[in-house]
Amino acid sequence: MRHIKIYISCLLTTICLLSSCDKGFDELNTNKVDPTTLTPSFQMNNAIINTSFLDGFGNLIHLSYTFPIVQQIVTPFGSSLSGGNYNVFNVDNAPRIWTTYYRNVVKDIVDAVEKTRDVEGSTNTYNSARIWKAHTFMILTDTYGDIPYFEAGKGFLEENITPKYDSQEVIYKDILKELEEASAALDASKPIESTDILYGGNVDKWKRFGYSLMLRAAMRLTKVDPDLAKTYVTKAVAGGLMQSNADNAATRHTALYVNWLADHLGAREKANYYLAAPFVNYLRDNNDPRLKAIAVRYVGAKSGSEQVNARATTDPAQQVGMPMGYDNVTIAQTFSSLGVVSLWDFSQVNVNTVLNRTVAPTYHVTYSQTQLLLAEAALRNWDTGDPATLFSNGIKAHMEQLAEYGPNAAISTNDNQTYIQAHPLDMSTQEKALEQINTQYWVSSFLNGSELFANFRRSGYPALTPNPYPGKEITEDFIRRMPYPDAELVVNQANVTEAINRQGPNTLDTRVWWDK
Amino acid sequence: MKRPLQLIFLLLLLCHTYVFAQNARVTGKVTGQDNEALPGVSIQISGTTEGAVTDVEGNYTLNAPANATLIFSYIGFANQTVNVNNRSVINIKMAPDAKALDEVVVTALGIKREAKTLGYATATINAEQIAVNRTPNVMSGLQGKMAGVNISTMATGPGGSSKIRIRGQSSFAGQNSPLIVINGVPVDNSNYALGGNYGNRVANNSDGGDGLQSINPDDIESMTVLKGATAAALYGSRAKDGVVMITTKSRGEGKGLGVEYNVNLTTETPLDFTDFQYEYGQGEGGVRPTAPNPLSGVWSFGEKFQPGMTQVLFDGEVWPYEPVRNRIRKFYNIGTNLTNTVRVSNNGENGGFSLSLANLDSKSIVPNSKFNRKTINVGFSQNISKRLSTQGNINYSNEYNKNPPQINGQEFSTPTVVMTLANSMPFEALEQNQLLPNGYEFPFARFLVRNNPYYAVNQHFENIKRDRIFGNIALKYQFTDWLYLQGRIAQDYYTRDQDYNVPNGYAAIAPAPVGFINGSYTQDVRRFRERNYDFLLGANRTFGDFGVDVTLGGNTRYVRMDYNSVTVQDFIQPGLYTVMNGRVKNPYYSLSERKVNSLYGAATFSFREYLYLNVTARNDWFSTLAPENRSILYPSVTGSFVFSQAFASMPAWLSFGKLRAAYAEVGDDNVSPYSNALYYSVNNNLFPNPSGDVVPVGGINASTIPNSNLRPLRVAEAEVGLELKLFNNAIGFDIAYYRKITNDQILAAQVSDASSYTNRLINVGKSMNKGIEMLISAAPVNTEAFRWDVSFNASYNTSKVLTLGLTEADTMIVVGGSGGTTLRQVVGKPIGQLYTFSYLRDEEGRQVFSKTSGTPLRGDLINIGSALPRYFGGITNTFSFKGISLSTLIDFKLGHKMIGGSNMNYLRHGLHKNTLVGRAEGYVIGQGVNSDGEVNTTRSPVQPFYEWPNANGVYEDFVYNAGFWKLRQLTLSYDFTKHLPQNLFIKGLRFSAIANNVAVLKKWTENMDPEQVNNASDNQTGLDFWPSLPLTRSMGFNLNVKF
Repeated sequence: MRHIKIYISCLLTTICLLSSCDKGFDELNTNKVDPTTLTPSFQMNNAIINTSFLDGFGNLIHLSYTFPIVQQIVTPFGSSLSGGNYNVFNVDNAPRIWTTYYRNVVKDIVDAVEKTRDVEGSTNTYNSARIWKAHTFMILTDTYGDIPYFEAGKGFLEENITPKYDSQEVIYKDILKELEEASAALDASKPIESTDILYGGNVDKWKRFGYSLMLRAAMRLTKVDPDLAKTYVTKAVAGGLMQSNADNAATRHTALYVNWLADHLGAREKANYYLAAPFVNYLRDNNDPRLKAIAVRYVGAKSGSEQVNARATTDPAQQVGMPMGYDNVTIAQTFSSLGVVSLWDFSQVNVNTVLNRTVAPTYHVTYSQTQLLLAEAALRNWDTGDPATLFSNGIKAHMEQLAEYGPNAAISTNDNQTYIQAHPLDMSTQEKALEQINTQYWVSSFLNGSELFANFRRSGYPALTPNPYPGKEITEDFIRRMPYPDAELVVNQANVTEAINRQGPNTLDTRVWWDK
Repeated sequence: MKRPLQLIFLLLLLCHTYVFAQNARVTGKVTGQDNEALPGVSIQISGTTEGAVTDVEGNYTLNAPANATLIFSYIGFANQTVNVNNRSVINIKMAPDAKALDEVVVTALGIKREAKTLGYATATINAEQIAVNRTPNVMSGLQGKMAGVNISTMATGPGGSSKIRIRGQSSFAGQNSPLIVINGVPVDNSNYALGGNYGNRVANNSDGGDGLQSINPDDIESMTVLKGATAAALYGSRAKDGVVMITTKSRGEGKGLGVEYNVNLTTETPLDFTDFQYEYGQGEGGVRPTAPNPLSGVWSFGEKFQPGMTQVLFDGEVWPYEPVRNRIRKFYNIGTNLTNTVRVSNNGENGGFSLSLANLDSKSIVPNSKFNRKTINVGFSQNISKRLSTQGNINYSNEYNKNPPQINGQEFSTPTVVMTLANSMPFEALEQNQLLPNGYEFPFARFLVRNNPYYAVNQHFENIKRDRIFGNIALKYQFTDWLYLQGRIAQDYYTRDQDYNVPNGYAAIAPAPVGFINGSYTQDVRRFRERNYDFLLGANRTFGDFGVDVTLGGNTRYVRMDYNSVTVQDFIQPGLYTVMNGRVKNPYYSLSERKVNSLYGAATFSFREYLYLNVTARNDWFSTLAPENRSILYPSVTGSFVFSQAFASMPAWLSFGKLRAAYAEVGDDNVSPYSNALYYSVNNNLFPNPSGDVVPVGGINASTIPNSNLRPLRVAEAEVGLELKLFNNAIGFDIAYYRKITNDQILAAQVSDASSYTNRLINVGKSMNKGIEMLISAAPVNTEAFRWDVSFNASYNTSKVLTLGLTEADTMIVVGGSGGTTLRQVVGKPIGQLYTFSYLRDEEGRQVFSKTSGTPLRGDLINIGSALPRYFGGITNTFSFKGISLSTLIDFKLGHKMIGGSNMNYLRHGLHKNTLVGRAEGYVIGQGVNSDGEVNTTRSPVQPFYEWPNANGVYEDFVYNAGFWKLRQLTLSYDFTKHLPQNLFIKGLRFSAIANNVAVLKKWTENMDPEQVNNASDNQTGLDFWPSLPLTRSMGFNLNVKF
C-alpha cells in the first residue's frame, strides 16, 4: 500500500508540476481587504476606546456591582440584574471586566507595546502605550486580585494560551516600575503621533497622566505597604502631576463610539436603575450643587413609560434616592414614608445632563482625583502641600469638570465657591480628614465604577451602612472582589487553581492583596 | 452564461430534425414468457421519436417504414430490436431482464454504476418519497427514511435550514454537513442559520436558510446518499461527511412529449407541549398588579387566581385577573404551504429535455412572515453525433424570505415573549397597545428588550432575497465503444440581498439627538460564486472473464464571496429605512476566496460479474493551508463479492447475496481562508483627537489565534457490509458496520481570555465514530388484492474522543455554550459532552442551602452525557389495497441528552409547575441542610428562590433524555389512472392525502419537544435556552396529473 501511495504520489505530483497545481495559491490566500500590520498608535486608540466598553455589555458589571456596592446607583430588580443590590453572585456580570478587557483592551495595548519596543522614532508611542497598559492592568487586578499579567495578551505573540497568574503584589510593583520608567522616558524632542486620541501626542500631558496614575497606584498601597506607597508618591510628585482639568485622561465619546453607560441608563435599563439614597442624601444634606446636575426625578411616575420630561425635576429638594436593601416588591413598603408613588418615582441619573446622552466623555484619571489623593498624601506627610488647599482644589476641579458634559450640567462659579467655603477640610483628627477626602473622592469619581470600588475598599470611606438586603450570600459587610470567570476553571485550570490557593477562595468575600 | 444558453436552444432545435420515409401500417401483440398480454410496452421506431404503446390486451398499431427497426421496451424485460422487413404483423414475446433487479446508482462524479458492483453503503430515495409528503426544505421531509442519515429540522420557520449528519459527527466542532452534489457537481450549501457559516453584523437572530432551500422537490429524479468516506473518496475534502447526490430530471420518462402538473398544499398547525401553572397570575413577589402601568408583563409570580379578581395592566386599564391559556394558538397562525409545478418534457432516441416551472408560497405560523420560491429547472441530454453527446442542467431560483422569524434571543423574538408571557396577560391587551400615541414602542415589560410580540412582527422587518443560478454542461466524446473523454463546466452563483431594521422609537436603544429619530437599518449584499471545471477520461474493456473500467479526472474549484454591508443609525425622516436617510453610517466590505485543485483516478476490476475490486486515488491542493501541507493524497479500496452468482449450487430461497468491504481516506481543509495569518482592521469610523481632528482607530481583528502551519484534517474509514435478498426478493436485508477515525482535526478550541483571544486554531485531536446501519425490507402479505410492505432502518453510532490538544495533559476542550451550560469534547468519552452546574450536596447527599438567604448553593460542574443520539431510524409500513396505498413512517432518535433551558426560563418567570412550592406560604424552605449541617430552616422569598438557578447557571433540574418516538408521516394515495377513459388527454392522475409530524409517541422533555431547537452548529447541540418556535403538524394533499 505504502509503495503504491508513493508511486501514485510521484505520478500525480509530476502531472501537477507540469500544470502547477497550486499556482497562485499564496496570493489567493492573502486577505486583500485587511492589513497585516497597523500603526501601533491606532491600536492604542482602539485600546483606549475599548476601556469604556465599546461592546456595550461590559458596563453591566458596574450597574450590577460597583455602583451598588458603593451605593451610588442601585436597582431593586433581581435575576439578570442582581449583584451588589442583593449581595449575591451573578454569573454573567461578574466576569465582564475580565472578558472585555483581556479580549479588547489588553490585546491591542500589549501588541502596541511589543511592536514599538526598541523602535527608533516610536519611543513616545511605546512609553504612552506602557502607561495605558498599566492603567488597564490596575483595573483588572483591583477587580479580581491575582491575575495573568506578565504572560497575558500573548496568545498570538508567544502562543501562550494558558497564562500564569501573578500575585497582585508582584503586579503592583511592576506597574509602579513601568509607570516610573515610561513617564520618565517620554521625550518631547522625539517624534510624536498627533493621531493619539487621548492627548494628541502632547508629551507633557502624557507625562502628567503617567505620574498621576503612579500616584493613584501608590496610594492604593496605603494599607498594605505604606513605605512603598510613600516612595512612589514622592516620585510621582517629583515627576509632575496633572495641573488642571485640561490634563484629564478622558475618552470623548461620539455618535459613532457611544458612551454605553449612558446608552444603558438612557434606554435599555432606563426604568431599572436609580440613584441610591446614601449618595442622594449626602449631596442634598451638604447642599452640594452637583446634585442638580446629576439627578432627575420624574415626580409621580407610576411606570417606566411615565418617566417623561413633563414630570422631570432636577430640584435638589425634591430628589429622593432609592434606599438600599429592597427588592422590587419590598421597596413598596418605603413609598409612603419617602413620599413617592412608585419605584419609578425615585431619582435617577440625569442622562440629559451628566451623561449628555451618549456622547458624554468617560473619565479615567482626573485632576480632581489627583488633587484629592495628594491631599491624603499630604495629610500623611508624604507630600509638602497643604491638605486643605489640595482638598478644596479637588472639589473645585470636579465641579468645573461637570461643565464638559454640557451647559445643563455646569456649576456656577458662585455655587462652587459657596460649597467649598462651607466645606473646609476638618483636620482636627486625621481620621476625620481622611473620611472627608475620600468621601469627596467618591463624589468626584461618580460613574467611574472600578475606581469607586477600589478606593472604597482601600480607604474604607465613605462610611457606608452595609446593604441590609436579607438574602445576601456574603459573610463580610461588603463585596470585596469579583470571582474569576468559570471559563478559567476549565481552560486554564492549573494556573487559576494556583492563584486561588495563594489568594483564597474564589468568592465575593476574598480580599485582594492591598485590601488586607 | 449567454453562450451556453444559445447552445441549449440550438440543441433543442436539433431534437426536432427528423428524417421521414415511406410508411406502412404494422400491428401485433406483445406477450410475456407465459403468453400473458403486456400492456404499456413502448415501441419505438429506431432513429426517430415516433412509436406506439400497447393497449390493455397487449396490442399495438403503428406506421413505420418498411425497412425500419423497432425497439420494444418494458420495465423488467430485456429490450428487443426487430427489423420490420416489409412485415405488417409482428408479434413479440419478451424475456425478463436478469439485470432488471440490478439497481443503478449514481456515484461520485456522476458516474452510474450497478449497485452490485459497489463495495460501500448507499441509501437511495425515489422521487415520490421526496415529492409527495414534503417540507419546504427538501431534506427536512426525509427524516427517518435513510439508515445512517440523521436529519434535524430547525424550529425556525419555512425558510429555515436543515441539519444533516451522516454516520455521526466526524469532527469536534462547527459544521459537519455532507456535500451536496447536483447532477455530478457540488453546489453551495452554506448555512445562514444561527451558528451557521455566516453571522450577522448587528443583532439579528433569524435563520436565513441554506443552499438546499433553492431546490424544488418536484425536480428531483432521485437522491442517493453516499454514506462513507469511500463513496466520497473521489469528491475529496468536503465529502468527508458523506455526499447527498441529487439527480434532477433531464428528459421525459416515456416516449415523446409529456406534460405534468403537480400541486401540493399543506397547512401547518403549531403544537403546544406546555404544561404551565395557571394557579397564580401576573405579578412579582406574590403581588398582582393593581396600580396602573406595571411592567411585570413576563412574570407570573403574582397572586392566586380568585373569581372576580382584576388586574391593572401596562395599558393602565383594568382587566380580569384570570388564566389565559393556549398562548401558542392565541398568537400563532395556521401556516400554509402551496407548491405548483408544471413540467414539460420530451424523450427521443437521440435526446430529450425537461423544463419545469414551480412556485412555492409558504406562510409561516408567525404573523407577517412568509417564504416564496420560484424555480425554473431545465435539463437536457442530446447526442450531437454518433460519438459526441452533451448533457446539462440549469436551475434558477428566486427566493424571498420575508420576515424570517426572530429566534433564540430576546429582541423581537416572538417565541421568547409568547412562551414566557405572564399567564394572565390577555393577548388582546398586547394587540391593542403596540405603539404609544407618538408612534414609539409601548413597553409592556421592565426588560425593554422583551418586546410586545405584535409590535415585533409589525414594526421589525427583514427581507432576504436570493437570485441563484446553478448548473453544469458536459460534453462527452466517445472515441470507441470503450473509451470516452468528458469535459464539464459548472457554476453556482447567487446574489443575496438582506435588509433589516430596528424600528423608529424602539425603547431599548438610546433616543436620537434632537432632530433625528432613533432606530437602525442594515443593508447587506452577498455575491457568491463557486466554479468547477473538470474532465474525465474513461475506459472500460472486457478480456474474457475480466473487465477493467478506468477513470482519470481532474477538477479545479474556485469559491469567492463578496460581502458589502452598510448599517445606519438614527433617521431624519421617520419610517423611511434607507441608507441615505440615516444619520450615522457604518460601511463594511469583505472578500473571501479559496481554491482547490485536484487530480484523481479510479479503476474497477471485475471478474465474471460477481467479483469487483475498485481502487481510487485523489490528490488535493488546498489554497487555505500552509504551502508545505497544501498537497494531500488519499486512496480508497473497495471490493464486492456477489456470492449468489458465484456459485451454481445456491439455495433457491437466496435470490441475491453480496459481501462488501471498503477502506478509504479523505482529507479536508475545514478552515476559512486567511486562517494562517494575523490580520488587523481599520475601524470604519474615525475618532476625534483633542484638537478635534478625526484620526484612525484600528486593531487586531481576530478573536481566534491563527495558525500558520495548518495541515489537512484526515478521515480514515473502513466498512464491511452484507446484502441479501431472499425468497424471490420478498425480503431484503442490508447491514453495514463502519469505523471512522478522524485525525488532525482543525478546531478553534476555547482558550483563556487572558491570552486576549477566545479561541485558538489547532491541528490536533483524534476521534472515532463506529456504528452499524441496517435496512430490512419485506412484504409480509402479498396477494393480488392486498399488499403490505414494511421497511425498517436503524442506525447505531457511537463515538469516542481519542486525543485532544498538543500534549497528553490536554484532556478536554470547550467548543460551545456559556454561563452554566457548556458543550465539551473530553478524551475517552463520546463526542459532544454536556456539562452544567449541580446543586451543592453534603456527603449524605442532602442539598445544602445558604444559611443567610435560604437559596440553594452551587456545587460542582457535572457531566451529563452526550448530546448526540446513539440510535436513530425509522419504520415505514405501506399497505396497498386495490390501488389505495397507505403509508406510515415512525421514526426515532434515542440515547442522548439535552439541557432543556427553555424550562429555566419557565422557572424564573414563574410558569413552571415547580414554582408552585411555597407560593401559598409566601416563602420556600429548601429541603436539606445549611452549610453548618443543620436542617435548613431559612426562609427564602419565592421569586428569588426560583430566580437563583438561572443567575448561578445551575441547570441540574432541566437535564433530559432527548430521545423520542414520533409518528412522522402518514400518506394515503390513490391512483385514478385506470379509471380514466382510454383516449382522454389526461394520461395519469394520482391523489395523496398527507400529514407530517403527526404525533409524538414518546418523549422525555417537559414543556417542549426535544426537536424544538434552533441552532445549526455542532457547537450548540443539546443546549437550549430561549424557547424556540413551536413545531408544527402539517396536513394536506398532493395531486399529480400527467398529460
